[in-house]
Amino acid sequence: MAARKRTAKSTQGKLPGHDSETGASALPAASGVERGAPQKRFASTKVEIEGREEIKIVELPDLEPAPWGEDEPLGIVGERIPRMDALEKVTGRARYTADQVRPAMLHAAFVRAPIASGRVTRLDLGPALALPGVRAALSASDVTGVMHAGAPLFDQTIHWAGQPLAALCADTPELAHRACALVELEMEIGSHVVTVDAALRADAPLVRPTGNVPKSQPRVLERGDVDTARATADVVVTLELRTPCVLHTAMEPHGAAAEWTGDDLTVWESTQGIFQVRKDVARAFKLPLNRVRVMKDYMGGGFGAKNYAGAHTYTAVALARMLGRPVRCILDREGEQTDTGNRPATTQRVTLAARLDGTLVSIESDTTIAYGYSGWLASPAKIYHELYACPAVRTRETFVHLNTGAMDSFRAPGHVEGAFGLERSMDALARRLGMDPLELRRKNYAPRDQEKNRPYSAKHLDRCYTEGAARFEWTRRRAESAASRASGTRFRRGVGMASQIWGAGGGPPAYATVRVNPDGTVDVLTGTQDLGTGSRTIFAQIAAESLGARLADVRTVLGDTERTPYAGNSWGSITTASVGPAVRVAALQARARLLEAAAELLEVDATRVSASGSVVRVADDERTMTFAQIGRKLGDVMIMGQGSRGANPPDTAIAAFAAQFAEVEVDVETGRVRVLGITSAHDSGRIINPTLAESQLEGGIIMGLGYALFEERVMDARLGLPLNPTTHDYKIPTVADIPLIDAFFVRSADVVANHTGARGIAEAPIIPTAPAIANAIADALGVEVGEIPLTPWRVLAAINGGE
Amino acid sequence: MRLTVNAREHEVVVQGHETLLTVLREQLELTGTKLGCARGECGACTVLVDGRATYSCLTLAAGCASRAITTIDGLAAGQSLHPLQRAFIEHDALQCGYCTPGQLMAAAALLSLHPAPSVDEIRVGMSGNLCRCGAYPKIVRAVQAAAIAMRADSSVEGVR
Repeated sequence: MAARKRTAKSTQGKLPGHDSETGASALPAASGVERGAPQKRFASTKVEIEGREEIKIVELPDLEPAPWGEDEPLGIVGERIPRMDALEKVTGRARYTADQVRPAMLHAAFVRAPIASGRVTRLDLGPALALPGVRAALSASDVTGVMHAGAPLFDQTIHWAGQPLAALCADTPELAHRACALVELEMEIGSHVVTVDAALRADAPLVRPTGNVPKSQPRVLERGDVDTARATADVVVTLELRTPCVLHTAMEPHGAAAEWTGDDLTVWESTQGIFQVRKDVARAFKLPLNRVRVMKDYMGGGFGAKNYAGAHTYTAVALARMLGRPVRCILDREGEQTDTGNRPATTQRVTLAARLDGTLVSIESDTTIAYGYSGWLASPAKIYHELYACPAVRTRETFVHLNTGAMDSFRAPGHVEGAFGLERSMDALARRLGMDPLELRRKNYAPRDQEKNRPYSAKHLDRCYTEGAARFEWTRRRAESAASRASGTRFRRGVGMASQIWGAGGGPPAYATVRVNPDGTVDVLTGTQDLGTGSRTIFAQIAAESLGARLADVRTVLGDTERTPYAGNSWGSITTASVGPAVRVAALQARARLLEAAAELLEVDATRVSASGSVVRVADDERTMTFAQIGRKLGDVMIMGQGSRGANPPDTAIAAFAAQFAEVEVDVETGRVRVLGITSAHDSGRIINPTLAESQLEGGIIMGLGYALFEERVMDARLGLPLNPTTHDYKIPTVADIPLIDAFFVRSADVVANHTGARGIAEAPIIPTAPAIANAIADALGVEVGEIPLTPWRVLAAINGGE
Repeated sequence: MRLTVNAREHEVVVQGHETLLTVLREQLELTGTKLGCARGECGACTVLVDGRATYSCLTLAAGCASRAITTIDGLAAGQSLHPLQRAFIEHDALQCGYCTPGQLMAAAALLSLHPAPSVDEIRVGMSGNLCRCGAYPKIVRAVQAAAIAMRADSSVEGVR
């Protein structure tokens, strides 16, 4: 079906006269805006989200414009435009969910399980309800059929420490929390397991009635014949690698505010997916979708953990209905760090087999994933199948249930863990072969998608290697680190590198509306959200460019299910590549209508008018009309365009690539690591706004640095409790930890992926950081390191051979 | 009691255990100051108390009676942005923006103590303010740029 769709694109998908958007535009006949020949309106296409390829039904857009080429003379797209909502953010005027204040609003807080496993035998809310200012309690019987993190909400069987058992609602947040402490709770304490080793023992307590390993496990994927291939190798390296459980730690905790007006419900939610939350809430409360409005104006970080409605949402909605007053429920920090998801810990046994020239003959990994009570099977194995050209790859994954909070998507889920295993092992292989690690990677370069044997829409990882190595001065610094290691000084320098791949092609469905107001200002409406990525800004840029408007006149409205057409969750680095083309199509449609109107007003042939800078000009004529002048003449006629995201190209892999280089200094007496510099070269297709894109790269690298050196959720195995659910004991990077970062994009436009030429950015930078840093530490010490975070004691253990 | 916030006096009723952050956000509805951890760990709640950077989540409101409190809502002089605010916009020293009010107030206090801070002084001075988006490199650049702008323009007072 998809193949037929591409034919449609090339034969009649363009607006007549709109082969190029720059320069004078011909004006189509009114009917020409719509698709010419009768075609089916719906097709199916593949979309990769968070490492999973899904088949999506796509409503074919009315037009598929020609892609913006590599050298397209664009004036607004590609420019370093200041973030358009920065003023609101620096003045404190930006309203986050936690800032929502509604008349007569009440506040909810959770009673949480203080043990990891067992059963509630008595839950007496009486003492809490007796506290003046406490208005109501919510427990399991009030919210039947609602799930949270894999269990019924307020389940009285306890599956993990921190599980919500009930909620209390009071006049202030502080009072609600105080009331929770007054609830009398008696429990039967059960047996728990919070480590994989304990969970896999034959006599282990069962986390799930069906067992601690899901029935579908282990998940084994093999291409080629690994055992035969390995036997032909000159060199085989095997490493055991461990990655920690890490926490999203968004600065704004999860939260929602809910308000009922008659049968209409409004929810403010700190979310990556307003339409997903609308769907979740409507389903849970059996409401028609058109009676639920979900809004998110600003949000304080998501990183993957804010994709669905959660306990806080359902609690706010249920209490608001019960009490007839708005209710806000914002998690406290401890709740945020225990009950909102995590990146699960892994143990990966990796075997790489190669010829003496570095050619990989087989790749194997056997991974256990400390999955927690629930979640989804984010695959650390996938990158082993993708990153390098290798005929024989076998991966085995075992996801293990534990009495810990559910895992959730966390910035490149699976890939971050897998990249550490694979890229750390590649480094060890290079050392064994006496080969430059960069050369080893080039030697095994995969020009095609290895997993499905299909071409990439575009792949410039080779340029990332070349340009990144040049800017980092890889060869010089590598020689210096060798000298430093040989000198035997206390402060040893080392360099390392790693690369990455992340499916970031985006896809349908995504919609946008562009409206030109009578005063010439422009609204871009789309149901996506800006998590701090800058989508508000870049969609205004795409619209202004396509419409021929001044950027200052364009405003993006997003984060409101009632004002905007559908766009999907902001996950999987898909937002720009999904929504951008829809915005462009909407703006082109609006422009076609505006130019048609202008041509009539100016009494010229429609082929002679063009728009730029919010002014319509007539070819070979002095006359102009501003958008505002046109608007005034038209009165309340609405100039509007509707755009949607078309299908992805068939049989094509779309991904973002990067190569990262790190230099560290290791104090061999204390084990302390200082990262001195990181260079990160990225291929993400066209960059709509380099400043905002570089901010995301830096942010991803810094998060990766935390993964490499500091971050780790620590569980008390005996008690089954998290020991560091605070921002003090769970250490994320501070400004004092930051090295010099040189993050940049190789120049490219992906004309195959979609007609804006852009691919995703957000998750790519975190993937190679930890292996690059760990490889640099191994280089500095001359020994392999297998476990992150590389805290001083782990570094000392590696030095002393006590890994 | 009376609370002087951004040069305006407010009559508020506070209980002994109530924090300055709670009173600012819930009573005065000055929601520019953020709640991140409520334990003095993340810095999102930073305000100036008599010109000093202070975690308002660890400060009892009752102790602030005779103090001058400045929040993000009062950092700009009317319509004119503080040089730090301008620099944060110009250098894109923020992403989601949730920690930004705290970062700006910490920076304002830092620049009043060190009008010409070194990079290391900025790194130490700002290390009590977490940013999960990782805007740190640009925060450092913005603080440096604001310091230069403020020294150049002596008519601007760093901290009121």
